[in-house]
Amino acid sequence: MNLVDLMLKIDRRIIYLVLAVVVILPLIIPSVQHVRVMPPVEKLYNAVDTIPVDKVLMIDFDYDPQTQPELEPMALAILRHAFKKRIKVLALSLYVQPLGLAKAALDQVVGEFNAEAKSRADSIIYGRDYIFLGWQPPPLVPILGMGESITNVYKKDYYGNQTDTLPLMKRVKNYNQVGLLICISSGDPPLWWVGYAQNRFGLKVGVGCTAVSASDYYPYLQTGQFSGLMVGMKGAAEYEELVETRLAIYKHRKASTALPSLTYAHLVMMIFIIIGNIGYFIKRRKK
Amino acid sequence: MTRTLPLILVFIFGILGIIPFVVPHPVVQNSDEFLRNDLLRILAAFALVLGLGSLLRVHFDKIQHRRENWEYSWVLLITFFVTSIIGLFGGVSGTGPLPTKIGNFPFDIQTIYLHVEVPLGATMFALLSFFMASAAYRSFRARSAEATLLLISAFVVMLGILPLGNQISPHLPSFAQWIMDVPNVAGKRGIAFGIALGSLATALKILLGIERSWLGGGE
Repeated sequence: MNLVDLMLKIDRRIIYLVLAVVVILPLIIPSVQHVRVMPPVEKLYNAVDTIPVDKVLMIDFDYDPQTQPELEPMALAILRHAFKKRIKVLALSLYVQPLGLAKAALDQVVGEFNAEAKSRADSIIYGRDYIFLGWQPPPLVPILGMGESITNVYKKDYYGNQTDTLPLMKRVKNYNQVGLLICISSGDPPLWWVGYAQNRFGLKVGVGCTAVSASDYYPYLQTGQFSGLMVGMKGAAEYEELVETRLAIYKHRKASTALPSLTYAHLVMMIFIIIGNIGYFIKRRKK
Repeated sequence: MTRTLPLILVFIFGILGIIPFVVPHPVVQNSDEFLRNDLLRILAAFALVLGLGSLLRVHFDKIQHRRENWEYSWVLLITFFVTSIIGLFGGVSGTGPLPTKIGNFPFDIQTIYLHVEVPLGATMFALLSFFMASAAYRSFRARSAEATLLLISAFVVMLGILPLGNQISPHLPSFAQWIMDVPNVAGKRGIAFGIALGSLATALKILLGIERSWLGGGE
């Protein structure tokens, strides 16, 4: 087998091995990679930052274990931002799968803040500062229903409390008291929020999505239907950058730590594609 | 009648679903709220039971007739029943009547989810990157002008989203962003309009009973 054939027929196991090495090594020796913040993420950050005092931030956790590495850092960064600015949070999921991950993210960030709190006023208290509404099937029912009444749709929260007895829900009736909804999702839910909640009730929608679904959402960002967009690991790292530089929150930056792995993996893929193409052109010229 | 009744129901409820978007009258809005909040949830509950019943029937049948990979059906059934019992009687975090802790070993639903389902799901998805890398190497060839353009765009976007892109040139991320904002949006919008018009036409055909394939069976 000559060199050209080798270039065209690299054993897939070699590709797997090289990719595994470049992904695993930066994770074993972690380093935070700083990124340049792009306009879509800046827009989302500003949308959260300018939520009026009398309104709440609603977060739709719609990521599952498969997309957790890409989307969970977004959720953590947004929660840190909201709690730092004392913005009240309503959390929910449109699917049953993300519930456990949503709970874990909420518990982690609430724990971080409460570990540093000096008084009850400083603390993040369930029912006063945030509520986890949980899950109500099928997805379109809560989206449309909350336009009329949130407590009618979610009569009980995730933990079984009557929602209308929780202090925060005394002043939150429906979307009129929601300043922004952020949907962190790997599927279609952002489009449902626009199609049903925004078109009918005027709800502002921000989105965090996986890198592969980004191209589907740019049209909505351009028209202003999305108040901002975070795309994949890079988008999450950009939000982490803003949270650190503007709010001085120095916590573990999951996405920024994963970026070196992402960088080297992309480079390896590009190198293999280039090798394959060089081999292809040499062979075509010989013919 | 078995085919006429579903067609009538689809027509009535389809129209009832459209009217509240254009008629703000309280009577219409309230009946719409009842349909969405109560009736739809009851239907969803039936669908859930139907789906679970169907799943169990398929796997019992697989075991009974020793079909291909029937052993895995046991894994599904056992885990299904075990987690269902823990979830139904043990509560979310072990707060139910069923004890979900042996000494320091918890096995409530949240623990099972975080320590079993999350790693398994993440592993399955992580394998994708290896297949994608291998497939991209084998099939991403600059065979024509269009393919070359696609290849160059892909490289620019890939480099542009990486921190490395900004180090190569501060214009690279901006150019990648422009590709996503302009050519990508132009293409996506065209596709979206096509899908929307197609969906509208199909929805009308279903509502009016012209399209009946969803009923199953022959004409």
